[in-house]
Amino acid sequence: MLLTLDLNDPRPLHEQVAGAIRRAIADGSYAPGDRLPPARDLAGALGINANTVLRALRELRDEGLLEFRRGRGVSVLSRPDAHAVLVEAARELLAEADRYGYGPEEVIHIIREIS
Amino acid sequence: MTSPTPVQSPPSSVSRGRAVAVAAVWGVLVTATLAAVPLALRDRLPDPMATHWSGGSVPDGNMSFTGNLVVAVALWAVIWATLLGLALHGAVLRGRLPRVHWWGFLFGGAGFALGMEGVTLNANLDAATWREALLPGWHVAAVIAVSAAAGALAGYLGRGEPDRAPVRPPADKPIMRLRPGQRAVWVSRVSNPWLIALTSASLLTAVIVTALAALGVLEATAAWIALAVSVPIGLLGIATSTVQTRVDAEGLRVGFGPWGRPARRTPAGAIESAWAELRSPTEVGGWGVRTMPGSGRITLMLRGGDHLVIRRAGGGEFAVSADDAERGAALLNAYIAETSGS
Repeated sequence: MLLTLDLNDPRPLHEQVAGAIRRAIADGSYAPGDRLPPARDLAGALGINANTVLRALRELRDEGLLEFRRGRGVSVLSRPDAHAVLVEAARELLAEADRYGYGPEEVIHIIREIS
Repeated sequence: MTSPTPVQSPPSSVSRGRAVAVAAVWGVLVTATLAAVPLALRDRLPDPMATHWSGGSVPDGNMSFTGNLVVAVALWAVIWATLLGLALHGAVLRGRLPRVHWWGFLFGGAGFALGMEGVTLNANLDAATWREALLPGWHVAAVIAVSAAAGALAGYLGRGEPDRAPVRPPADKPIMRLRPGQRAVWVSRVSNPWLIALTSASLLTAVIVTALAALGVLEATAAWIALAVSVPIGLLGIATSTVQTRVDAEGLRVGFGPWGRPARRTPAGAIESAWAELRSPTEVGGWGVRTMPGSGRITLMLRGGDHLVIRRAGGGEFAVSADDAERGAALLNAYIAETSGS
């Protein structure tokens, strides 16, 4: 599972981790029914506390994306809906725009121009 | 034992056709011998005949003439049918190591079936009853040694061409874009439930043996022998039935066992390239850590399917079972490019 975190993201860490897992499921690397790597593996790789990852996983479970099963770990229940995927993509776009010194209003302007 | 020379150089489909033909003819010959020789000697054999010896040369088990004949033919038939099935299935003859095993079992297995039937008939020949059929222990040892030698020779003659390392154009390798201010990691964990079951059984055996020895039920020597077998299998099993693979800015980390320790790290700078590949246990010769001497290619095989493969800068290849390996390889290539660029 590929996880990417933006170091300049002002959101709480568990929300960022939830976003990263949502993206990984959305891009098709994990299909419904597939088992996720254990929380402590993800936490170890990201260098963060396992409880933060667990909190992110619980959020995704409450969204209906993941399923917790005793003894079988965490598995994917369904793909995230279009809205959630677009929100993540927009967030990435805004972060990229910010690196070039563009604010949200200017991004909206660009979107209007090209659509 | 005389054996027809197995085929030498096999470009896949031709060699498979020849292997199947040799196996078919050889199998019929062995089956005919196993059936014809006892039937020809029937008048000189007791019925029932001695078929089991425990340690000493005096028999302690018997079977009717027909029973013995059926068992001898059935034992060989199972080996033969399995080998034919594997050859027709195809993949087994493609790699050099499985090919050596296949030819080894075809002739070594036949040698063992023929030899065991031979020493059994020899012991029973002209005996008044099955109890007088004496079997010197060295006869059995000789059969095992000769059939192992025949198997080794057949495996050597049938080894064929060395495996060609697949040529991969650099454009083929996956790579992803790394953005500044971003931390990207990739993790995979793969377990093999069968290996875990085997491991658990071994460790359970070790615990039971220790308990029995402590209670004085089991002899100390027997307990040591049992522990010497079950403990290494259990420990190796724990280490290789679960593997945790991680790619981060530092490179590749492969953690063994359920706790991911011990772990082996390969820095990004020591890796030339990474890619994903489908591999199966028949190609690499089984499960666990698999290699061919001199090939420099190591596979940590937990299950057939997706594997993350790296080529080291100093030469040599390492592959490990991993889910979603394509993305892991893409990220690793990105870190390799970053390391070599700076």
